[in-house]
Amino acid sequence: MRDNDPNQKPSSGCNSGNCSCGDGYDQKLNKKTSRRNMLKSLTAGLLAGTGMVNSACSVTASDDEKDQKQLEWEEFFKGNYRLMTDKEKSETVERLEKLYELNNGKKINVSAQGAEKDVLYGYAFNISKCQGYMDCVNACVQENNQDRSSQMQYIRIHEMENGRINFEDAEDNFFHEVPAEGHFYMGTQCYHCENPPCVDVCPVEATWKEKDGIVVIDYDWCIGCRYCMAACPYDGRRFNWATPEIPEEEVNKNQHYLGNRLRKKGVMEKCTFCIQRSRNGKNPACVEACPTGARIFGNLLDPDSEIRWVLANKKVFRLKEDLGTEPKFWYFMD
Amino acid sequence: MNNRVSHMIRALIYVVLLPFATSIMPGCSGHEEHPHQEKGHHSIVEQLRHADKDTIEYEVSTEELMADIKKVLAQVPESEKEFYVLERQSMIKSYPCSNCHSVPLEELKAESKDKKKAHWNIELVHAGSDAMECSTCHDTNNLDQLKTITGKALTFDHSYKQCAQCHSQQYKDWIGGAHGKRVAGWAPPRLIYSCASCHNPHSPAFKPRWPARLNTQKLKELNGK
Repeated sequence: MRDNDPNQKPSSGCNSGNCSCGDGYDQKLNKKTSRRNMLKSLTAGLLAGTGMVNSACSVTASDDEKDQKQLEWEEFFKGNYRLMTDKEKSETVERLEKLYELNNGKKINVSAQGAEKDVLYGYAFNISKCQGYMDCVNACVQENNQDRSSQMQYIRIHEMENGRINFEDAEDNFFHEVPAEGHFYMGTQCYHCENPPCVDVCPVEATWKEKDGIVVIDYDWCIGCRYCMAACPYDGRRFNWATPEIPEEEVNKNQHYLGNRLRKKGVMEKCTFCIQRSRNGKNPACVEACPTGARIFGNLLDPDSEIRWVLANKKVFRLKEDLGTEPKFWYFMD
Repeated sequence: MNNRVSHMIRALIYVVLLPFATSIMPGCSGHEEHPHQEKGHHSIVEQLRHADKDTIEYEVSTEELMADIKKVLAQVPESEKEFYVLERQSMIKSYPCSNCHSVPLEELKAESKDKKKAHWNIELVHAGSDAMECSTCHDTNNLDQLKTITGKALTFDHSYKQCAQCHSQQYKDWIGGAHGKRVAGWAPPRLIYSCASCHNPHSPAFKPRWPARLNTQKLKELNGK
């Protein structure tokens, strides 16, 4: 089932088995020198050319400034998260935390926690229960540090006329008393497909399916081509047209590398089942915020889980099942 | 002449066989390039049927998350699995009720004729008046507890049993996990909200209200501004 295991994938530069995969140079150029040595030689070579290096080696710049430039430099040349060793993961996480502190004077906590054994996340949505209150949307935006200026939202709640499911005619930006008479509500977001077409089309392998079934994005490896956005049949992905803006006091400081850490201009993002929460046993923010209990989340591999009870005892359906994408997101009715 | 015939036959073979051959080839190479596409033939639900383990040793747990939350073990003989529900008694502001209800209701009514009424703000909007009155759920002989239709005593902590007498389908769904909600998280142990955590027992229906937000940016884009 989970043969998409990233660890089984041989990286281009690591077939010999004794090089350290993870660094951007190693991965791309297959050099056997250590990263630090290479950085040193490159730094020396580019001394005159780049302002970044200029201030890093300047005698007048403060220590903090030098630190920052050094960290930014190392961050810029790090590798694809999927190919990093545990040590490299903790190093980049540390750098991100330090950089945030240097830039904003506040501490954040970035996690690189991996998937747990025997866990495959699944989600169920009760269309009889949802009333269109949109508390889930608010919770999601706050939890996941989405751009406030473009009002990016991962979740859409579609107000549908009773009697049919038609997304063309549905209203997903309603503002009137809910539930509206003669209507029902259907939430959509990333479905974390078992066969995710968005992953197949990524030209740089910046998005993949984790062992616990969560489809994630390496925001530092994404080139922003938006192929995945076009490939997703469910409108699950979002693009940062501008640098995301979040008021400092609203930033959720409890972050995950593959989840809600701060994004930048020109990269994709989407729902990660709140990876920073779910991998700690918590429910995603939308599930916790829902006042009607329309959202159910849990481990598909556990026969005792609620999600499995729903699959076994309710008439469930998924959207566009004929595509073979195998979404791990089911709809059901009371 | 002969030449032309053999040419035509050869052309015919190309016309017929080529599309056939090309239609096979991408199928083969596709299989090699995308081994996981083969999974499409076995749906995820089918796979789950074979993936079950007897016990899962979880590294994560909601134990820590629910450490400070008052809870009781649910008394649900219908379920083989143990789970917790939120404790309720200590959430009731003026509990124990016997603080005021020390004499029978009739006496209390006569006694406090000129005084301000208690519970004046409670309006019963729950089933019809034929089926429901205060004493349908509250034990008028001991207001510190509830009673079932047959007169058996129930504590407020296990008030879900009261609801289950009429709402049997919701009760089944609640035990299974399709109705109601988890407290703390998805991982075991399971702690869920009680019926009255979300539904006001005196007026259980969810009230209409305005959505929590409006996406004004999307509105602008839709209006072409």
